Amino acid sequence: MKDNWGNRVMPLTRRNFLVQSLVFGGAVAMPAWAGKVLAADDGVLRARLYNDVNSLDPAIYQNAYNVDVMGLIYPKLIGYKPNSDKWEWQLEAAESIEQIDDTHIRFKLKPGLRWSGDFGEITAEDVKYSFERVLDPAIASPVAGDWGPLSHVELEDSHTGVIVLKEPFQPLWTVALPYGVGHIVCKKAVEAAGGGTFGMVPPKAFGGPYKLKEWRANEVTILERNEAWAGEPPAFDEVRLHPIADPQAGEIAFEAGDVDYTQPSAASLQRYKDSPPANASVADYPALFYVWVGMNTAHPKLSDKRVRQAVQHAINVPLIIEAAYFGVAPTATGIIAPGLPGHREETLVPPQGDPEKARALLAEAGVSDLELTLTVRNTATFTTIGQIIQANLQDVGIACKLNVLDSGAFWIVGMESEGEQWKDLQLVLNRFSSLADPYYATQWFITDQVGEWNWERFSNDRYDELHQQAVRETDLEKRSAMYREMQDLMEESGAYRFITHEVNAIMYRDFVKPAVRPDGIALYNHFRKA
Amino acid sequence: MWLYLVRRMVLAIAIVAVAVTLLFTMIHMVPGDPATIMLGPRATPELREALRLRLGLDEPFVVQVGSFFLSVLTGDLGIDIVRDQPVADIVLRQLPYTVALVLSAIGWATLVGIPLGCFSAIRRNSLADKLIAVLSVSFIAIPYFVISIYTLLIFAVMLQWFPAIGVGEQGDIGSQIRHLVLPAFAVGISWVGYIARMVRASMLEVLGESHVRTARAFGLSEWRITFRYALPIAVLPTVTILGVGIGYLISSAVFAEIVFSRPGIGSLIYEAVGQRNYPVVMGGVLITTVLFVVSTTIADLVNAALDPRIREKL
Repeated sequence: MKDNWGNRVMPLTRRNFLVQSLVFGGAVAMPAWAGKVLAADDGVLRARLYNDVNSLDPAIYQNAYNVDVMGLIYPKLIGYKPNSDKWEWQLEAAESIEQIDDTHIRFKLKPGLRWSGDFGEITAEDVKYSFERVLDPAIASPVAGDWGPLSHVELEDSHTGVIVLKEPFQPLWTVALPYGVGHIVCKKAVEAAGGGTFGMVPPKAFGGPYKLKEWRANEVTILERNEAWAGEPPAFDEVRLHPIADPQAGEIAFEAGDVDYTQPSAASLQRYKDSPPANASVADYPALFYVWVGMNTAHPKLSDKRVRQAVQHAINVPLIIEAAYFGVAPTATGIIAPGLPGHREETLVPPQGDPEKARALLAEAGVSDLELTLTVRNTATFTTIGQIIQANLQDVGIACKLNVLDSGAFWIVGMESEGEQWKDLQLVLNRFSSLADPYYATQWFITDQVGEWNWERFSNDRYDELHQQAVRETDLEKRSAMYREMQDLMEESGAYRFITHEVNAIMYRDFVKPAVRPDGIALYNHFRKA
Repeated sequence: MWLYLVRRMVLAIAIVAVAVTLLFTMIHMVPGDPATIMLGPRATPELREALRLRLGLDEPFVVQVGSFFLSVLTGDLGIDIVRDQPVADIVLRQLPYTVALVLSAIGWATLVGIPLGCFSAIRRNSLADKLIAVLSVSFIAIPYFVISIYTLLIFAVMLQWFPAIGVGEQGDIGSQIRHLVLPAFAVGISWVGYIARMVRASMLEVLGESHVRTARAFGLSEWRITFRYALPIAVLPTVTILGVGIGYLISSAVFAEIVFSRPGIGSLIYEAVGQRNYPVVMGGVLITTVLFVVSTTIADLVNAALDPRIREKL
């Protein structure tokens, strides 16, 4: 049938309608079936990384996502015990490891561990080289501090060595050995490549269960089985790690069948727990982050401790958790997360605050018409927190203005090296990540860090002294008590209002048996099939 | 014609130089220390200072701009300090993904938009014309990221027709096309409306001109008049807009690249700005500015090829 222009037109008859409906319905159904195949077990584990890897050199790596990949391709003497609710370690490349005295640790490598390619057996010489190169001034490692007072490694035979410290250092067992700088690289291969740092071009000598097959920037990191691996065979033939910055984009990728393992956002967690996608499971864990409102004690408006305490009492933390974290994150009691030595059971200031006391403190300090500025990063969560704090402060008579900055501008706002702006800093909503040792959290608030990362300019001799003592203390209970006291001192100063440690959630297909640290961070080398 | 080409080349170089200098000025005015961000909290002040020296941030601003242009002339865009790789390599590896996305988006938008515009003009004020007008304006009005998210939810999550993330397997064209469909759809859809409206307006103007009336008087068919005589003239403004549009889409592609987790120049620059990774920002912007200038120049040349009146003025 044609119209006046000669156009072919199809009249809308019942038959045509049915035919078109069938064609459309079929088109919908067939790709839907094809799509579901994507989510099945094909020997490949596809997971979301929250950022693209940018250094696979344990001496100069920066972020946790690099450690996720390093853990697959390099061996370590010890590693975190997977799926435990306590921070424990287990032997990995080491057959045995023992603390001989406060400053000497002897290790013996398992026999028969090999590098891929023609690089032979993994030896104690490789361990010595890997650990000592982090301290090499020519490497200029930004993570050398993770080794604390490491002096050197002495070799006893091809598989045995002794790690020698200049002074006792407890984080050796919780951070240095089982985490980033504890990865072992092949001395022969690194030296053959020039001996310096290697960033994203690691020498082709891999000692972990997987080898780096391909890295396509901002797209995917592909790892394949390492034929030289002598340990328990990895469950997946291939691991594909996709950099997806936005957790909600990761959720969509999971639901579309493009990834088998992702980390849902706090905003989606309850929804997924109530109704997980088909053939998928969801779990959540207390994270190690700490979020707090800091107060610049050097600012004239906040130099009076009573004013700072008024701010502490004005802020309603459970309200923030409900509004910004959808009620799924735990309330923080300090900077040390649950599960770590030194975690406090409760804060000195009640979490919900006390507006009456805040008003009384302001009156006692003789302050009225106070106006403060709260500096926050430009994420949805932090601006929401900022708005709640703004309302909390308004409630006790403090006008509060939000200063929202992008991350590049935010991370220098309290640094003396970046000009005079630190003098204008008043309140700041901050969030630091942490590792499995309380030392890692407390180190930023010592007097030496004032004007560096200690933006509150908190300075307390007792705190500094405890920080030095605790890092050496071998008695766990005494060490915990020290860290608890340090957090009491921080809170008593009025310069800190602790908000939350946040939550880490995971979502995975039912054919995946994930392995995670107590804080929910993936240990991909221990992933198995369910 | 050759004089025109030389003039365009000189203008193109000037545009690139001004754009890059402006950007250089802006990123140095924005607070944020690349050394602090790149090295992280555990780096010592000495290490940060050493990195600043390596990046040349201790040099006066004019010297930094001059050094950058001198390096560019030798094909050196600097080193990406984060990945420790040449910026030129990184940018050129990402470039094909963005170009493929932009060309696919503008390509399908053109293929659909021009016929829709013609159809509307021919069926002026009909129900179909009104429906196309409503749809076109709706396409233009909806922001890219909204389209992107709903496209993902409908076609990747609900129907699972297409993958949600990535660019597909290397060497597998089918896989790469499957991965390109949704982002190209999301980026191109507003251009369908835009092109349709523009072609309709141009067509109506041309269809009212005297040479079209003459053609009708000679008894030529409406098909011949429309597609042989009216469309080549009506499409000229659209070609110009497409040249500018490609440049515009390069910046719009950043939304699609982030939402669909695709590599590309847009997401590379976005990430680099956050990290204050100046060499990558500069390298990425330089390349996109060059692309923009090249695409507008090509549009001008195509216009000249299509329209003898323009050709004669060159």
